[in-house]
Formats: sequence, structure tokens, C-alpha cells
Amino acid sequence: MMPLESALVWTPVALSADLPAASVIPARLADAALAVWRAQDGTVSAVADRCPHRGMRLSHGFVRGEALSCIYHGWRYGKSGRCLAIPAHPALTPPETIRVATYRAAERDGIVWVTASQEAGAVPAHDGFLGLRSVTVAASPARLAASLGGTLDGSVIDGTIGGVTARLLLASSGEEGVLLVHLLIASGAADAGKIAASRALEGLRRQAETATITGEAA
Amino acid sequence: MTSPSPVLYDYILSPSCYKARLMAALAGVRLALRPVDFHPGVEHRGPELLALNPAGSIPILVAPDADGDLILTESAAILVYLASKAAPAFLGSGKPAESARIQQWLAFSARLTASLGGARLHEMLHRPGDLAGLRASGIAALRELEAALFEQRLKGEAFLVGNRPTVADIACFPYVALAPDGGVSLDAYPSIRLWMRAVRALEGFIEMPGIHRLHELKPDPHEAPATAEA
Repeated sequence: MMPLESALVWTPVALSADLPAASVIPARLADAALAVWRAQDGTVSAVADRCPHRGMRLSHGFVRGEALSCIYHGWRYGKSGRCLAIPAHPALTPPETIRVATYRAAERDGIVWVTASQEAGAVPAHDGFLGLRSVTVAASPARLAASLGGTLDGSVIDGTIGGVTARLLLASSGEEGVLLVHLLIASGAADAGKIAASRALEGLRRQAETATITGEAA
Repeated sequence: MTSPSPVLYDYILSPSCYKARLMAALAGVRLALRPVDFHPGVEHRGPELLALNPAGSIPILVAPDADGDLILTESAAILVYLASKAAPAFLGSGKPAESARIQQWLAFSARLTASLGGARLHEMLHRPGDLAGLRASGIAALRELEAALFEQRLKGEAFLVGNRPTVADIACFPYVALAPDGGVSLDAYPSIRLWMRAVRALEGFIEMPGIHRLHELKPDPHEAPATAEA
């Protein structure tokens, strides 16, 4: 499979609604594991999912106020990635050199976007859509598009799901042969439409994965 | 005179035993814990415990009751008993659909035990088993749970049945939370992640090895400098 991010500068990593204030989640770029966190003030940040101290996943950590803490020894990082505090040495101001690698993060249309590029331009727009669910699907983009009966353009599939106009944004799940799929639906959809789309997404996944296993032509 | 505490035959690393401890803690029931040498002693297969539970599994709850000792060997029944005694709100409102949905999840929780729990036993204690098959069944169950919890969120409800915890949540939570012990990642399940946060934030929540409460709810031992980033 072609690396999905090759044509992309910004990667959709999660839905805004799945990242409440003062929380952290694991996420992926094609070649990097991320911890994406939202501060109490609502700001979203993305860092490498590895504490510089002992290598623990920072996505297992926790957010208090405007800082992300490692679950292992409590090392605490601010939005700039700089280490702000080390609980075992409460009197110490950590040197500026202790920091976790950061990525640019942004939100648009209810989607959290991350890029490793400093030159990345505007965050992709999907006007009129809103993120509904993120799921992983063990199928190729072409297979998924065929199962939906939709059109595949790069890492975007447009079509209809459960009677609702839908767009699928594809990204790397970090696992070979498995896609992370964000389902976007028309932003005005009622709850009944959202439930229909969510249930149809389960069916679509079953169909695409079964076709993958049985080796049907995409 | 208060009646003696129910006795729980318990193993600290068992998610099924933890269900009983967690339910008791949330309900405010005091248990007398009787540690079982599950590993490496295989005490649950010894004559004393087999006399209580011929199935050779734990937990076992022995509760003094009006008609003599009540012996319960199924974790779902233990949850229902503890909730009935001390925290009936964990059994829902009693409306037919709600009671039935709770029963549905109690039965579902046995699939989590068999699949995710089986993979965990294989990885931790080298129990024989078809690891790939156990993981695949576990992922199928997690996908069902995720889809159901997503629909709950649309209704504004944070738990499996309604907007307050029931025995359904306590029955399903431990094996889900410990799925990574069996090599099944939880990264791809945002609604499950939010639900686990809601369970871990409950008043009276207790931990087991591998499952911790929300640290951010604990008092900050290192106040002040965190917000002072230049």
C-alpha cells in the first residue's frame, strides 16, 4: 500500500469530540507514534509518544491544567514540549534542553490534524462535513472505496452511507494493512442519521474486511 | 449486631475477582478477602475450593444469608448480589428494557472474559490456546462495545445503560481495560476510552495492578510551577 501521507502534509489523527479538555490520546502519523492532548483551556498539542526520561508512552499519561504528565515518574511537559517539572526533584527548574519532540496540531471541521512539517500550509477544509466516528479497517483504500461504492481520491472517499452523504478520510493506523478511517457526514444530520451512518459503517467494515480475506478483486 | 462480612476468595491479578472488589467498593460493602494462591499454587483446583466451586474458578463469594451461607461462583451473580444488598441503583431503574439491557451486557461480559481474558492468560501465565483466535474474538467484542458506546454518547449517556453506572459497566470494564495484557491494543476505540475514563472517575473507584484511577483527580503533589511556562 502506498504511504497515505505521501500526498498529504496534514494528517487527520482523531475527531475533536473524542479528545475532551484535560485529556490525552494515542495517535499516529505514518512514521511516528504520537500523544495528542488537549489542555484545560482547549488547546490541542501533539508530541512524540515517548517520555524522554524512561521511554514510557506519554499517551498513557494525564493532563492537569495546561501540562501533560508522564504516568511513570510524573515528568511534566508544557505545550512547547519543554519539561516544566520533575516531581522527584521539586526544587529543580528543569533545564531547557529537556523537552519532548513536538508536532504542529490544529482543529477544523471537528477533526484534529497533525503535521511533522514546519512548511505545511492551511489545514485541509471539509466544509459542510462534521467528524462522526473513527475506526480502523483492515483493508486497502481501493477495497474500502469499492465496498462503499464511492470514489477514491488520494486519501478521501466520497459516497453515501446509511442514506447519509458521507466522506471518509483515510490515515495510517500504525499497523500494516490497517487503515484509520474517519467518517464525516453532512454537518446538519439529525441523530437518527448519525446512528444510521454509524451502523452502516460497521457493515461497510465487515464487507471490506471480508472481501480482503477472501481476496475479491477491489 | 452487624452480620459478618461476605468472604471473597480472591486473587489480586484476576480481573473477575477485581469486578467483585470494585463493585463492593462502589457499593460500600466490606468484604473479607481470602487470598487464593491461583498462580503458581493452583489452589483453586484444590479440594477445599473445589468443594465450594466444582468448576474450579474464582472468584467465589460466600455470604451469610438468612437461609445459611449463600455461595456464588459466577462474577455476574456476585455483582447483582452486592448491588441488590447495598447499591440498588447499580441495577438500573427496573424498567423492563433497562433491566434486559443490563442482562444483555452481563452475558456479553462472558465473551470478554473468554476472548480478551483468554489472550491475557495465554500471555501472562502461558495458558494454552489459539492466541490469534482469542484476539480476533476480543477485537470483535470490542468493536461491538465501541459501536454501542458511541450510540450512548449520541444520547448524552456516559455508561452502557443510562447516564449512571450499573453492574453492566462493572462486569465489562476490567477485561476491556486489561486487553493490552493479552496483546490487544485499545488505541482504536475512542468511545471505549471515554467510557473507561468515566468508570475510573467514579466515587469510590479502586485500582488493581494495570488499572489505575484518574491521576488528574488526585491532589497535585507539585503545585504552581506547571502553569508558569514562559
